[in-house]
Amino acid sequence: MMLSVRGVTKKYGKLIANDNVSFDINQGEISILLGPNGAGKSTIIKCIAGLLKFDGNIMICGNPNKSLPAKRELGYISEVPALYDMLTVWEHLEFIARAYSLTDWKESAERLLLRFELDDKKKKLGSELSKGMQQKLSICCGLLPNPKLILFDEPMVGLDPHAIKELKNLIVEKKQEGHSILISTHMLDSVSEFWDSTNIMMDGKIAARRTRRDVVGNGEDLEALFFQITEGNKKKPEGGMEE
Amino acid sequence: MKALSYLLIRQLKNRILAIKKKPGLLILYLFIILMIVFSAVSIIIFDNDGAKPTFADERIMYLFIMGFGFMYLFLFINSGLSTGSTLFSMADVGLLFVAPISSKKILIYGLISTMGKALLAAIFILYQVGNLKVQFGYGLKEILALFIIYAMIVLFSQLISIAIYIYSNGNPFRKKLVKTILYLSVLALILSVYLIKIKEQTGLFDAVLRMIDSKWFGYVPVAGWATMFFQGVANGILINVFISAGLFLVVGILVIALLTIGTADYYEDVLISTEVTFQMLRAAKEGRNVPRRTNKKIKIRDEDMDLLKGSGAMTIAYKHILEMKRTSRFIFIDGYTLFITAGVGIAGYNFKNTMAAYGILAVAIYLQFFLTLLGRLKSELIKPYIFLIPEKSIYKVFAASVTSLLKPCVDGVIMFTALAIVRGADPLTCIFMALAYASSGAVFVGLTILYQRVLGGQPNKLVQMMIGMTLLLAVIAPAILMSVATAFLLPSYLDFLCTLPYSIFCTVFAYVMFLACGNLIEKSEYTGKI
Repeated sequence: MMLSVRGVTKKYGKLIANDNVSFDINQGEISILLGPNGAGKSTIIKCIAGLLKFDGNIMICGNPNKSLPAKRELGYISEVPALYDMLTVWEHLEFIARAYSLTDWKESAERLLLRFELDDKKKKLGSELSKGMQQKLSICCGLLPNPKLILFDEPMVGLDPHAIKELKNLIVEKKQEGHSILISTHMLDSVSEFWDSTNIMMDGKIAARRTRRDVVGNGEDLEALFFQITEGNKKKPEGGMEE
Repeated sequence: MKALSYLLIRQLKNRILAIKKKPGLLILYLFIILMIVFSAVSIIIFDNDGAKPTFADERIMYLFIMGFGFMYLFLFINSGLSTGSTLFSMADVGLLFVAPISSKKILIYGLISTMGKALLAAIFILYQVGNLKVQFGYGLKEILALFIIYAMIVLFSQLISIAIYIYSNGNPFRKKLVKTILYLSVLALILSVYLIKIKEQTGLFDAVLRMIDSKWFGYVPVAGWATMFFQGVANGILINVFISAGLFLVVGILVIALLTIGTADYYEDVLISTEVTFQMLRAAKEGRNVPRRTNKKIKIRDEDMDLLKGSGAMTIAYKHILEMKRTSRFIFIDGYTLFITAGVGIAGYNFKNTMAAYGILAVAIYLQFFLTLLGRLKSELIKPYIFLIPEKSIYKVFAASVTSLLKPCVDGVIMFTALAIVRGADPLTCIFMALAYASSGAVFVGLTILYQRVLGGQPNKLVQMMIGMTLLLAVIAPAILMSVATAFLLPSYLDFLCTLPYSIFCTVFAYVMFLACGNLIEKSEYTGKI
């Protein structure tokens, strides 16, 4: 098991952002967190990344998520690119390489920059990049340590078509290499080609869980299920979880 | 003007109605009103008691007005040379600029709206009513004059900034010309002070006061006009009031004419500045610490990249050094170092006794507090990396604080060396003062960690500020008392040692805070906000 989330509850004052959330991700699995805005997807991703305090238990590769071994295996790409204004593109990658004590990272860094068309912008400061370029660099920073578990929070937002295509290819490659990926999104189309399992979130809870095999086997329409849950149809979805 | 007047009135009305939904803000406003009423009542009581105490030199007040006027003028001229200034919001850009409304009317709307905001911001002057009454014997007339001056300076400086931007944007020659005029004006003022000093055989401070009080100074743009206006009101010289108000008005109208005449199109020129202001306001609302971006091009030198060294947590410290190099060539020696050193030098030159030296130290430490409060550790906490780096929290906290610990050491050495040279002060006293300054830096870093650990998730800024100030007083008071007690106990030839207990206390406190709150990263949450 690459990721195990057990009974995670996260409250902001009286607001329950995540309510007793549990799910797992296996090695080489691409798992999607689907849900409308405000469903609690980003919150659970941040909890897994160790950025938020929570009640419950999260294990990454068998280690508590806030432990150093877990952090070494984790990559997190935030929804809003978080870059340093005064560092260049290349310096961001060098900073990550040094902070994670990586060796022989330069070739991987070059490849990532080439792939996301940032190779000619190595000397550009973070503040000089457009929003889309910042997002691309943020992805490069998250992927450089070659983490076993990669968390993407709305990764396609702000990317140009080329970058979206590259990112999709990269996600599939990472899966083939045995990495596990968790992607939060509210855009079904953007992940329809490659997902293995999905958790549909609503009001901070996991409202339904499906694997691709379930959906293909039952002939179920995932999009219809999504709208059934998110648009307030009271009819409980078949196989869905009540939490 | 129908849509525009609707917009102005509706925004004001909604702003007032919104207070109902924010009880904390309502209490704050009531408190402000209460303080203003209290101050006004105190004026009436003072006016009726018949006593005629001796007041402070009125020229000190002129000095404040001059300082304020020049500060605004220089700040806005500088912004005019980079991003320009704005009278508008992003909503104005998106909705008004594209609407079929005359650009002249929109400019007037911007002016009225900015004037309103400036007057609202000027409310802080009313707080000083009691102080001004006691110090200078000023009444409501003078307070009102200060109120008007503040609004005029703010509005006028913004207009000047827009005008300079329009004139110099994309034209290096014109930019150079504006800069040259600005520097020559500063030089002329310094020269005037020097000449007065020589001619009148007086001190530097007195020479500045004499210059402000001179007739010709009243014609110096903005700062001089404002001083003349206040002089006129305070001393009942109507001609001064009319001349200064007239100067503001005439030059103001000229600038507006420049903005709107013929086909002049100011929309594009205020766009960048509006966007920059919008980003800053949004960052402030979200509690992020974002420096104002300018058009200043930062040179990326290959040799600078060698500064990014270390591995693990210490990479954060090296990254800070690289970032500092990008903003200041001499890394730890920046504009603040020069400003504080100049201040200490001037103060040391004018005030020669030993107590004054400790006063200078106290002011320097006070200023340092605000500098450290928004230090690099805090800016690191608004990015996720420090949380994600696989290292122990205490190492990361220390690494993120290294530059904040080192900078006061460098500043302390430079400023107290300046004090020793200018004032001929005892080198040992200066060394121990530098030590006290540097250790204050450590205590402030320690406090930041404690503050973040205890109040990191506290959403109420007012509560944060009040608890933070209480913490500061609680920590620093015993250190000061220990040093005062030492000063009484030690023989006079060991006076230089009196700051040592303070320094030791501060260093020990900082060390304890690192040990006690080093788990900050593990225990706090990443919110992207301060």
